[in-house]
Amino acid sequence: MRQTILQGLVQAYNNLVHMIADFLPRFLVMLIIIVLGLLVAFVLKYILRIVLSLTKLDRVSEEAGASRILRIAHLPSITALLSRSIFWLTWFGFILIGLSVLGIASLQEQISRLLQFLPEVFVGILILFVGLMTANFLSRAVLLAAVNAGLRSAKILTWSIRFLIWILTISMTLEELGVARQTVISAFSIIFGALMFGLAIAFGLGGQDLARKALEKYLGNTNKERDKEPQPL
Amino acid sequence: MAEDTILADDLIRQLISVGEVDLIVGISSHNNATATSHAYHAIEQGFQQHFSRQRAVIVNVCGGNNGDRDASGSGLGDLAEKNVPSVNSLRTVHRVTADFSVPPSPGLALRTVLTAADLLRARACAIVSPGTTNLTPDRIANLLMPVFREKFDFVAPLYTRQKFQGLLTRNLLYPMSRALLCSGIRELYSDEWGFSGRLATACLNQDVWHEEPIRTRPEAWMAISAISSDFRCCQSFLGQKLQSATGPGPDIVEVFRQTVGNLFWCMDSRQSTWLDCKRSEPVQTFGPGQELTSVQTDLDAGRIFEMFRNGVAELGPILGSILDPETHAEINSIVACEENTFRFRSDLWVRTVYDFAASYHHAVINRDHLVQALIPLYRGMIFSFLMEHSHSSAAEIESANEKLCVEFERQKPYLTEKWQAKIEVKS
Repeated sequence: MRQTILQGLVQAYNNLVHMIADFLPRFLVMLIIIVLGLLVAFVLKYILRIVLSLTKLDRVSEEAGASRILRIAHLPSITALLSRSIFWLTWFGFILIGLSVLGIASLQEQISRLLQFLPEVFVGILILFVGLMTANFLSRAVLLAAVNAGLRSAKILTWSIRFLIWILTISMTLEELGVARQTVISAFSIIFGALMFGLAIAFGLGGQDLARKALEKYLGNTNKERDKEPQPL
Repeated sequence: MAEDTILADDLIRQLISVGEVDLIVGISSHNNATATSHAYHAIEQGFQQHFSRQRAVIVNVCGGNNGDRDASGSGLGDLAEKNVPSVNSLRTVHRVTADFSVPPSPGLALRTVLTAADLLRARACAIVSPGTTNLTPDRIANLLMPVFREKFDFVAPLYTRQKFQGLLTRNLLYPMSRALLCSGIRELYSDEWGFSGRLATACLNQDVWHEEPIRTRPEAWMAISAISSDFRCCQSFLGQKLQSATGPGPDIVEVFRQTVGNLFWCMDSRQSTWLDCKRSEPVQTFGPGQELTSVQTDLDAGRIFEMFRNGVAELGPILGSILDPETHAEINSIVACEENTFRFRSDLWVRTVYDFAASYHHAVINRDHLVQALIPLYRGMIFSFLMEHSHSSAAEIESANEKLCVEFERQKPYLTEKWQAKIEVKS
């Protein structure tokens, strides 16, 4: 009896030692990979920041109105944002690789799924950012054109453009992420189609006179309208 | 001569066959054979009456149509040359047509004329517009004579104008360019001007021809190049400018892009020229100064005011990111005024324009958008001008314009300070 207990204890001790001996090197390898990843991420961040500074991306972002959106969202400049993103993405990637070295089967499966999903997240963020930038730029261009042409409903036009681009951007982002893909596409088609159909009916039936006047004004009396302003040069 | 040329081989061959000349007049014709033919006639008359002993050539830069080519002589491929002997002239007047497959931009047309002037070692050159319906031989002579006889390098035109014509020139382009460049050239943006062969070569050698502002409106850049490089500049009175009535009138947005945007671009690319310049110098003028005439106009002042008011309200956030907070607050306060009490003070207008120029330099928003955002405020300014000067005489308007110029000069340190300040982050 005593002998059996002792054997069990020895067995358990041996197993523990074996497990530790088996786990410790892998754990150390994981730590080395994470530390190495940290260094690589720092270097990449530094290089990207220099490259982006040389290309004057901040100025382009300022001109396109993206910087304003970032400031409103209390985010840093586009250069800082991109370089930080690359730092975290790189390091996160190394951490996942390090964790996979531990050889825990269930964890490995989750990590591999996460690694497959990462590029989609990155592309999704990129689509969202470009979409917001485009919406801001185009809506401002429409606002200026409408105001300078003397249209009274400039803001409605601007917000319509902005809203449409936002819907399109969000749908594209969700589709990229694979979130309820079919539902998103259907919802977008329904919303967009309904909006256009509604506008067509509203303008065609409710605004016949307005449409005629607008077309007459645009096609027929452009010169006359311009003549009512003094010649600038 | 510039090392790389934009001239086609055939054109170079024909120019060489013309040989060295004393005078070149360049025209850029667009699908209007009658106007081009009229321009040819006026230029040749000008040569015969005023430069009968000089060797002269007319360079017509056109593209994408046959009418202009026919007007210049024969339709022989890329180039047509016609030599016109006359009774009075002792020399042959050559006609050369540089024909592009598509209508060339004003920048390309000017570059072609400059390259031809450089190649033919011309002493005096002029650019005229076939769109000007009252192009006369004297007009050509007035552009060429100061260069040929008085050794000037740049000749800007001066016109007789109606009281409410050229308000952008009078309220922004002239006073601002005078304050910045210390040179009182009134008409920086005109499609008629004269220049020396020396200036042509100097401009040709600058690496700016790919820039959009030069492509669309090169004349002000040429004037600024002349002023900043100590070339001799003057103005010459040409009388009234009558434009052919074909096509729609100028679109205000396009005019702003091509003039105000161009001036801001020139400021940005030639900072060293104007930052140190302190006080403006008068420019020698041939003929009378600018003349103003009073005629009945069909201006809708109420609509202009409405567009100003609407624009300031709608563009609030955009103006907020461009203007100094104090300037923006003042503009918001005058928007509330009634039409009959509304005044856009000159000091506020100058600060507004200078804020826009500095914001253009710092690129706080897209530069094209920034220039467009100035249009509603310009409308406010011209409404104020129309109200203030509806019954003013030419002398009173001229006096008010002089005061505005002085205000632009007085506030120049404000612009310099804003220009050199580090970009301020506004949320």
